[in-house]
Amino acid sequence: MIGALAPHLLNGLALGLLFALIALGFMLVVGLMETINLAHGSFFALGMYVALVIVAPPSALAGLVPLDAWRALPVGWRYATALALAPLVVGAVGMLLELMLRRTYGRDPLYGLLLTFGAALVLEEAIRAVFGSTEKQLPLPDALSGAVLVGDLIYAKYRLWACAFAAAAIAALWLFLEKTPYGAIIKAGAHDSEMVRALGIDLAKLRLAVFALGVALAAFAGIVMSPIWGMRPHVGVDAVVPAFLIIVLGGVGSFWGAVVAALMVGLIVGLAGAYASEWSLLSMYLLFIAVVTLRARGLAGKKSVLDT
Amino acid sequence: MREEDREVNAGPAPDRRRRSIVAALAAGSTATFFGPWKVHHAWAQAAQRKPLVVGLTMDASGQYAASGGMERLGAMMAIKEFNDKGGVLGRRIEAIHMDTETTPATGSRVAERMITRNEAAFLIGAVHSGVANAISQVAQKYGCVYFNTNSSSPTESGKDCHRVKFVWDGNGTNFAHAIVKNAIRVNGRNWVLLTNDYVWGHNTSKATRSLAEANGAKIADELLVPQNTRDFSSYLLKLQQLKPDVVATAVGGDDIKVLRQQVVQVGLHKRMAWLNNQQDWPDVYGLGPEQIFGVFGTTWYYRLDLPGVKEFVAAYQKQYPGMAIRVPGNVFYNGYVATRELLRAVEEAGTTNNHAVIRKLEGRRMTARDRMQHFDAWIDPATHQCQQTIYMAAYNDQAAEKDDIFRIMAQVDAKDVVDQDAPKSCRLETFEATPTYEQ
Repeated sequence: MIGALAPHLLNGLALGLLFALIALGFMLVVGLMETINLAHGSFFALGMYVALVIVAPPSALAGLVPLDAWRALPVGWRYATALALAPLVVGAVGMLLELMLRRTYGRDPLYGLLLTFGAALVLEEAIRAVFGSTEKQLPLPDALSGAVLVGDLIYAKYRLWACAFAAAAIAALWLFLEKTPYGAIIKAGAHDSEMVRALGIDLAKLRLAVFALGVALAAFAGIVMSPIWGMRPHVGVDAVVPAFLIIVLGGVGSFWGAVVAALMVGLIVGLAGAYASEWSLLSMYLLFIAVVTLRARGLAGKKSVLDT
Repeated sequence: MREEDREVNAGPAPDRRRRSIVAALAAGSTATFFGPWKVHHAWAQAAQRKPLVVGLTMDASGQYAASGGMERLGAMMAIKEFNDKGGVLGRRIEAIHMDTETTPATGSRVAERMITRNEAAFLIGAVHSGVANAISQVAQKYGCVYFNTNSSSPTESGKDCHRVKFVWDGNGTNFAHAIVKNAIRVNGRNWVLLTNDYVWGHNTSKATRSLAEANGAKIADELLVPQNTRDFSSYLLKLQQLKPDVVATAVGGDDIKVLRQQVVQVGLHKRMAWLNNQQDWPDVYGLGPEQIFGVFGTTWYYRLDLPGVKEFVAAYQKQYPGMAIRVPGNVFYNGYVATRELLRAVEEAGTTNNHAVIRKLEGRRMTARDRMQHFDAWIDPATHQCQQTIYMAAYNDQAAEKDDIFRIMAQVDAKDVVDQDAPKSCRLETFEATPTYEQ
């Protein structure tokens, strides 16, 4: 029994890490800027497509870059470049959205929601117009392709890599927020923006940087998830829903709350998929309802005035 | 915009009244000379130059967005061909499209709106069987003829059939008949079903289960896949534990694209045989050769060596140059031939009256040549399903060109794969119980 269960437990944890990766950027923007970025999923998708352009550039770019020389490089090099460069490109696009979003700060949150929702639609249609609506595939280096034997079961090698990427991204973000002065400023800005401003820190630039970082993380997640979920213009919708659920479940603003929530979601989806498959997608919502019913602020959310 | 146009063309109110009186007198006097009511009514409609509105109820978002887009292009091409010839009954055909979002509730809302506000004469379109069922309930309430172009749950022409609904695609049972027996013989008796958790998946797998068990196979398990599943790892682990000879899938849209990619990542396509009941072209176009594994069903392929196929492909490429999908597939084909047949039936009926059009469609026979298939097709008057050739296909490793990704393994005559259960569960409403509808 345990032997049969073990692969599903491990798979659930792996799935949880991937969910955490998807939710990271969303969590950063919601938790530290208190802005719900509904375009998170579209940036996730944009990351995939920008990476595709870098790894397999279309012939239309022939006049701009030395295509033949670039294509002659091993896929691994191009893939690594895409992992580093595509989040920067998407982060820059995210900055443009943040500049537009500024007019909504301090107003009814609905304005921000509507703006980011509109941006999500525009980005998705732009992707469709440029790349078409058919499925695309990100070429992968051979070293990441194929399968490995875990016990007597086969597991996709890429999925292990994706989990490693996710764990690395989680650790890097935590170190950045906890161990660097920039992280301290960002957290202070979320806690008391007026005080941060009084200390002479440019809050506008801080928000711009945080938003760009959140969007870049969405793009990074998109690149990592692309070989698993596939690449199509509306793939972002599949990312934004679990991301939102995870940050609320974990408690808005809590880094580790979100990570633990993602692992819980991964476990329950993985186990339900194996033993009650028709419940696999619904199971995450049932978990959410159960937790929020018992603890309205999520697993590790801050106590609100209403709780006291 | 259309309504604004009508308003502008109508001119000042007194003129309009005068014209109406003259038109009424003219219509009344000609009635004496032009025989039956339906004939002079058609003439009156033509004289008014009122466009014939066709409502395209097709997905532009959700699980079947890609297929919804292709069937819309198919319908539009047929409409353009008719408009180029002067329309139908002397009326220009105007298509309106609304996104049904792969969601049954949206399908109902869109159908209601198209009939009550847009005065759609006919409704065409659906890939998701739940959406098709929802649309057809609304269409039946008003009596509006509805063509289900691409959704293929056996229930569509079974328990959910309606007098106004015509089902254009082959259904899950037709495909199962064509594929199951041979798969047991070639691959083995230990089967697992992988089923999209909605009406099409359930009823298609039910048909597969019934045929497989009747032919000696054992269904070890049935794994239900919720719609929009993006991670199949737990299913793939479960399949490895179950070790079936055959995995029979009834998974569609974006879900099957993702499933194919993840199966290849773990190499399970080499360890067990895979059958996909029906493989829609937009769901496989663009995938790598390795990901088009297994055996699957379809109703049409762009390289069938039949008269008219090359011309049809050329017409698609002329009308839609620079498309990401460079050649038409089964979904586009169904959208096209369904719309064409509907408009032909209207022309033959000489009216848009629903009862007259339905009578022209029931039992209608279509030649193989006309439909660019291997065998003749017909519309079953008891179920309203188009009985047509079913093709079995696999990946083509000797492609003549880049898009030539299917190898057609067999073509099966419609009469050999008839869904025998459909007439038993289909209870079409009587004509008396179907409201008269005419636009």
